[in-house]
Amino acid sequence: MSLTQGAPREVLGARVPPGTGPAGALTGGGRGRRRGAKPHGKTSPYMFLVVCPFLVLVFVFSYLPLLGWVTALYDYKPALGLGGSEFVGLQWFEILVSSRTQLEQIGQVMVNTLAMSFLGIATSLLPLFFAMFLNEIRATWFRNTVQTLTTLPNFISWVLVYMIAFSLFSTSGLVNTTLHDWGLITVPMKFLDTDQHVWLTMLAWSLWKGVGWGAIMYLAAISGIDPALYESARIDGAGRFQLMRYITFPHLLPTFVVLLILSIANILNNGMEQYYVFQNAFNREYIQVLDLYVYNIGMTGNSLSLATVLSMLKSLISLALLMSANAIAKRVRGTSII
Amino acid sequence: MRSRKAVAVLVAPLLGLLSLAACSGTGTSEDPEAASLDQDWSAADPITIDVFDGLANYQGIQGGWFGKIVKDKFNMELNIIAPNVAGGGDTLYNTRVSGGDLGDLIVTDKGEKLDELVEGGLLHDMSPYYESMEHLPKYDAAIQTLNESKDGVYGFPTQLSSVKPTEPNDDVDPTFGPFLRWDYYAELGYPEIGTLEDLLPVLKDMQDAHPEADNGKPSYAISLFKDWDGNMMVMGKQPTTLYGYDEMGFVLAKADGSDYQSIIDSDSQYVRALRFYYEANQMGLVDPDSTTQNYDTMFTKYQNGQVLLSWWPWLGQSAYNTEQNMAEGKGFMIAPLQDQKVFAYGAEVYGGEQVVAIGSQAEDPARIAAFIDWLYSPEGVQASASETMGAAGPVGLTWENGPDGPELTDFGRKAILEGGADVPADWGGGAYKDGVSTLNFSAVLPIDEDPTTGYPYNYKLWPSYQETTANPLTEDWSEHMGGATTTMEYLRANDMLLVAPGASFITPTDESEIETARNQIKASIVEYSWKMSFAKDDAEFESLLAEMQETVNGLGYEKVLEVDMANARAQNDARVAVANEFG
Repeated sequence: MSLTQGAPREVLGARVPPGTGPAGALTGGGRGRRRGAKPHGKTSPYMFLVVCPFLVLVFVFSYLPLLGWVTALYDYKPALGLGGSEFVGLQWFEILVSSRTQLEQIGQVMVNTLAMSFLGIATSLLPLFFAMFLNEIRATWFRNTVQTLTTLPNFISWVLVYMIAFSLFSTSGLVNTTLHDWGLITVPMKFLDTDQHVWLTMLAWSLWKGVGWGAIMYLAAISGIDPALYESARIDGAGRFQLMRYITFPHLLPTFVVLLILSIANILNNGMEQYYVFQNAFNREYIQVLDLYVYNIGMTGNSLSLATVLSMLKSLISLALLMSANAIAKRVRGTSII
Repeated sequence: MRSRKAVAVLVAPLLGLLSLAACSGTGTSEDPEAASLDQDWSAADPITIDVFDGLANYQGIQGGWFGKIVKDKFNMELNIIAPNVAGGGDTLYNTRVSGGDLGDLIVTDKGEKLDELVEGGLLHDMSPYYESMEHLPKYDAAIQTLNESKDGVYGFPTQLSSVKPTEPNDDVDPTFGPFLRWDYYAELGYPEIGTLEDLLPVLKDMQDAHPEADNGKPSYAISLFKDWDGNMMVMGKQPTTLYGYDEMGFVLAKADGSDYQSIIDSDSQYVRALRFYYEANQMGLVDPDSTTQNYDTMFTKYQNGQVLLSWWPWLGQSAYNTEQNMAEGKGFMIAPLQDQKVFAYGAEVYGGEQVVAIGSQAEDPARIAAFIDWLYSPEGVQASASETMGAAGPVGLTWENGPDGPELTDFGRKAILEGGADVPADWGGGAYKDGVSTLNFSAVLPIDEDPTTGYPYNYKLWPSYQETTANPLTEDWSEHMGGATTTMEYLRANDMLLVAPGASFITPTDESEIETARNQIKASIVEYSWKMSFAKDDAEFESLLAEMQETVNGLGYEKVLEVDMANARAQNDARVAVANEFG
């Protein structure tokens, strides 16, 4: 209540119609009244209504689904519904930890998940450099063509990417046929159905799909750099690479750090589409990430309750990661994120 | 202010729940009056029904001549929903079932699925219609058995038959068998094949003599695919059937109940089959596309003559034995292994694995019931039986009743035997093959007698067909097979057949714990089986085998095996009982 001091309630209430956002209050109020509008905006009971839809959304999409966790305590059968399914208590949790093989499988899945996420993070500098070098190209038409061509793959679905991969790299695909015709190989090389270098090939595909798209953000950041900096550096005798090294790069770093933090937050969410389309009996051991494992158990293996338990595991690990990130931030910066 | 906040906190979840509640259905609509089925449905309002069909290999509206028959008779269109096409195992089933509406007409498995659908209230009780049905009551015993512990009539069995359960359910071709490219085999001088492994040198010689198919692409003795992998690699199971085994979970049970094997044992028939593929691959006999291709790609290769061995007549023969090829002496025929005892399914007295039912949300259950009844009429069977099982099609179009029994018309020969023909406009137009019933459903066995002709439904068993279809290929084969005219005749004459009496055994539902373990183990076995078939050397093969045994044991294989063993024994008891009762 302390913030509303000096601003009569009736007047404020009359000026701001219910449901208008802070933006409306500011522009409608004009410059002169801004001082009065601000404290009002933070405290009016009406303002709560403005937030309400978003609270509902957050609740419905982030918290309500957690009710589904109750499935983990049942032997859930879709035809019978939750009411008709048998309550089994912690049976599924016990199964998960009951055998060494089971734990080893989950361990392998976690290793895959983290490995592919870290490989992704480790290569997240690539779009930055790509953008920097792309920016140095003088011929506009060439630069635009390259940018369009490298951005396009981002809009191709993984299913189609797999079709491309299949027609290129299957045993009777383009690459094998060509190598065979040139007499370089006699037996087709196995690119897709092998357990060798699975993580790296997966990384290569996601880079092919994502680098151009990832560079867009950096290109925007580059255009925001003050040209005066470049001019004065040039007067000081800096060459092109020095301009990149001492001006462009440092100015892109903040953007990079923000994106890096975001990608760390998503470390367990490396999706499943890519791995789902590329998986087969030969690479499954190394390609199965957490999301895919949950899908394989729940949908393909028809054990929805066990899959729920596994996906709970994901939430727990995310929570642990968040806590440790928070602890690090506290130690480094002295303030915590949450 | 505080109270408002509290209200909001309470209201928000309610809003959420309301929005979710809007998604679920409106409860079942019970229709107490038993509408008479005996009416002219063609005058009724047009409807389109959703058919959830676990057998269908096509998704979408049924068109062509079969679509026209159904439309003319019932003013109804069939929108086929096929989990086989959608892929992903039971995903589609689970999604639709949790939505409370599986389909208007449902073809699914008896046992666990049928039971849970009944319990969950997703099926319509058909007993009011059953009484006024014309054709189904003929099979009352089977229908009563299926609905025994249920409060009403919820499902009708399929593949009904009046043949003895100790007789094979097919009189022309077995389900399994070593079918080779007979023309290439003949070139080698019909070498005798002692046992499974002796096939390899023969195949090697065949492939070496013909490294390329007619289309210029390389040909391979063996081509594999993974689409139907279940408890095990499906192609790994096939060679075991040549010795009379069939799967019951992770058990290979011999048809006569004399042997039960755990598939992962190092000396099991299944591991023998994997070793067979491993050796074939070492000899360069396995198509390198095997690991990534699907059934359709493989089928095309058979059509082009790029594959030389087929474990199923309905694969190799149906793809390659066209009239034209056979006239040139080319085609797949069985080349017996001297020690084979091919597994054959006996006719199921109480019906096959699938059942047909009506969904509880169906708009016009009476009309659907009338449609089901029609499917079991002679006319319905002729028109709707699945093509691979020898369905002749509608009378008047593809065949007619002559003085010496039924025979295929010129159009029928073209459409069925010679690779296709266009249907006349008054029958609905379009290619004949595109108009075939996509239900892929056999109401009765094709070897059963058609009361309208006095001969079996399967055109391959008509005297007119057998007279006119002799060709260089079958003649040559017959000459070397002691004069046999069909594969079944040869197998019977040489005591190379092992019939599992058709007991319509229903595998009991697994405990949830067992089921989960089973699904994880399945995935591991399939994964390792593929790796073993393509192992680099003996050492890798053996180490993968050991690794597989260790992994699945760690996942609880023992417990699941115990259940499967008990089920396999119970199945055998049922077989013995039914053989004694009807045999």
